Amino acid sequence: MKLLLIEDEPLLMDEMEAYLTEQGYRCEKAMSFEAGEDKIALYEYDVVILDITLPGGNGLALLQMLKKQHSEAGVLIVSAKDSLNDKLVGLNLGADDYMTKPFHLEELNARVNALVRRKSFKGNAQIIIDDLIIDPVAKTVFYKETLVNFTKKEYELLLYFIVNKNRVVSKQSIAEHLWGDHYDMADNFDTVYVHTMNLRKKIAAHTGIDYIKTVYGMGYKFTSA
Amino acid sequence: MKLLYKTTQNFLLAMAVILSIAGIALYLLLRQEVTAEIKEQLELQADLVADQVAQGKTVNFPLTTVSEVSADFLPDKRLGDTLIYDRLQRENEGYYYLTLVKKVNLRNYQITVMTSYIGWERYYKTIFISFLGVALWMAFFGVLINYYSNRKIWKPFFLNLENLKQFSVRSAQPLQWHDSTITEFKELQYSLKDLTERSRREYLALREFTENASHEIQTPLGIIQSKLDRMSQLEVSEEMARYIVQAKSGVERLSKMNRNLLLLAKLDNQVYLEKQLIRVDELLGQHLEQMEELFSVRNMTLSTNLCPVTVKSDRYLCDILLSNLLSNALRYSPSLGEIVIFISEQQLIISNPGSALDFPPEHLFDRFTKSANHTQGTGLGLAIVHQICLLNGWTIAHSYRMGVHYFSIDFN
Repeated sequence: MKLLLIEDEPLLMDEMEAYLTEQGYRCEKAMSFEAGEDKIALYEYDVVILDITLPGGNGLALLQMLKKQHSEAGVLIVSAKDSLNDKLVGLNLGADDYMTKPFHLEELNARVNALVRRKSFKGNAQIIIDDLIIDPVAKTVFYKETLVNFTKKEYELLLYFIVNKNRVVSKQSIAEHLWGDHYDMADNFDTVYVHTMNLRKKIAAHTGIDYIKTVYGMGYKFTSA
Repeated sequence: MKLLYKTTQNFLLAMAVILSIAGIALYLLLRQEVTAEIKEQLELQADLVADQVAQGKTVNFPLTTVSEVSADFLPDKRLGDTLIYDRLQRENEGYYYLTLVKKVNLRNYQITVMTSYIGWERYYKTIFISFLGVALWMAFFGVLINYYSNRKIWKPFFLNLENLKQFSVRSAQPLQWHDSTITEFKELQYSLKDLTERSRREYLALREFTENASHEIQTPLGIIQSKLDRMSQLEVSEEMARYIVQAKSGVERLSKMNRNLLLLAKLDNQVYLEKQLIRVDELLGQHLEQMEELFSVRNMTLSTNLCPVTVKSDRYLCDILLSNLLSNALRYSPSLGEIVIFISEQQLIISNPGSALDFPPEHLFDRFTKSANHTQGTGLGLAIVHQICLLNGWTIAHSYRMGVHYFSIDFN
C-alpha cells in the first residue's frame, strides 16, 4: 500500500509517517504544494492524505488535479479549518473523508484503513486475529465458527483496537471515535471503561485470551502477535 | 416630521405673512390715491359749476347745489362724505362731497359737488378676495412644485438611505449608490461609500484573521497532541504517565475551546445562513441513539415525548445545539437522575435534575460562565446554544424548580 502524505508541518509529518509506516504502509512525503503536485503527476498512490493549507497553494487544487487524472487514490483531507464549508467543498470535489486538526493518530490510521479496505477490496476483506474473524461488511465477528454477539459500539471499539493494535490508545481517542467530539465528557471516561471491560470479557469468554491490556491511566492496548 | 412637510409648512407660513402685508399695504395705498383723485375731480367739477354761474346759466349738473351766500362767508373748502338714498337700488350709498365758497361776479356762492365712491369695505373685500385667490393658487402650485421637485431632488438620497438600512458588512456585493446632482448629497454619498467599503474590508480582514488564527493554533495543538501520544507509547513510570495524561487533557480542553470560540465568532458574523427544513425530533432521536451508552453507564433514565416537528435552520447548527444541550444535561445530572425530553409543535424542553446554579441565573448563557464545582467545561456550550437560537429567531429560557433544571426553546 502506497501512501502520499501532503502536510507542511514537519513535526506532525514525522508522527504521521512514523505511525503509518509502522502499520505497514509505504509513505512518501510532500511538504509543499509544488512537491505534492510533482508526486501526484509522476506516481500512483492508494491513499493521499491532504492538508488544505499549504505553502504555495490550496490543497483543494491538488484534489482537483487528482480527479482530473482519474486517479484511483482515496483522498483523506486533514485540515486545520473546522469549517463546514471546506468540508462540503472537499467532499464534493471527490475527497473520501475529512478530518479536523488536532486529531488522534489512531483515528487517522482507522480512517486510512477503512479507506484502503473500501478501495482495494471493495470492502470484502476479512480481518483475522488468531481465531477471531471479522467481516467489516456484515459487521459481524466469529470465533472459529460461532458468532460472537457484540453491541454496535462494542464492535466499533473492537475494530478500532484491532486497526491500532500494539499501540496504546487513549481514552479520549476512544471516546471521540465512538461518540464524536460533540459530547464533552468532562474527563469522565467511565463509559469508555465500561465498554472496554465488556468487550474484554466477551472476547475472553470465547477465546480465553485477554487481548486488551490496561496501561496505567493512559488507556488500553490491544496486543497480538 | 419629514423634511418635505417642514419646508412646505414654512413656505406656506411665509407666503401667508407676505400676502397679508402686501394686501394691507395695497389697500392703504389705493385709498390714498383714490381719495386724492376724487378730490381733484370734485374741484374740477366745482370749477366748471362756477364757470357756468359766471356766464349766468342755470346750473344743471346732477348732485350739485349752488346757492348764493352773504359776502362775509369766508372762502373755504370742505371735503366730506355723506349718505344719499339711491332710489333705484333702494339703499343709501356713500358719496364724497366738496363744499366751497367762491366769489363769482362779486357775489359769493356756495357750491357743493358730490360723487359716489365704492365703499372702502368693498375695496377691502375685493382686495381680500383677490389676494385670497392669489394666495390659494400660489399655495396650491407652490406646494405642488415644491413637493414634486423636492421629491425628485431627494430621491437619490432616500434610495441611498434605504440601501444603507439594508447594508451589512457580510454582504458579498458592495452597495449600489444612486447618483445625485446636488453637491451636498454627492458629498454624503462619497463619505458613505468610503465608510461602508472600509467597514466591509475590515470585516473581511477580521474574518480572515479568525480563520488564520484557527489554523495557527490548531496545528501546534496537533503537534502537542501527537507528541503526547508518542510519549504514551513509550515505557514510562506511573508518575510520568500521570503527567502525560494531565497534559493531554489540557490540550484536549484547549482544542475544544478554540473550536468553540471559532464557532461563536462565525455565529456572530452570521456565516451560517443556509437554512433548510429539519425534523428536530428525528435529529434528536439520532443523537439519543448515539449517546445511549453515555446515559446508561451512569444509570440515568431517559424519558422522551417527541412529536414530529419541522423547523428551519442550518443543519450543522441544529446538530450542535442539540448535542450541547444533551451534553449539558448529561454533565450536570447526578447518577440515577432522570432526563426528560419533550418536543411539541412549538417547543423543545429538556429537563434534568441537578443542584442549583451557584452564579446569577442571568449569566447562564454568557461566555465562560462556569459553575465553581465543574471547572472542566469550556463554559461556551450554552453560549453557543443561545447564539444559535438567536440566529434562528428562537427563544431559549431556563428555569429551576424543585431541584430540576428546565431548558426550553420556543421555535416561534
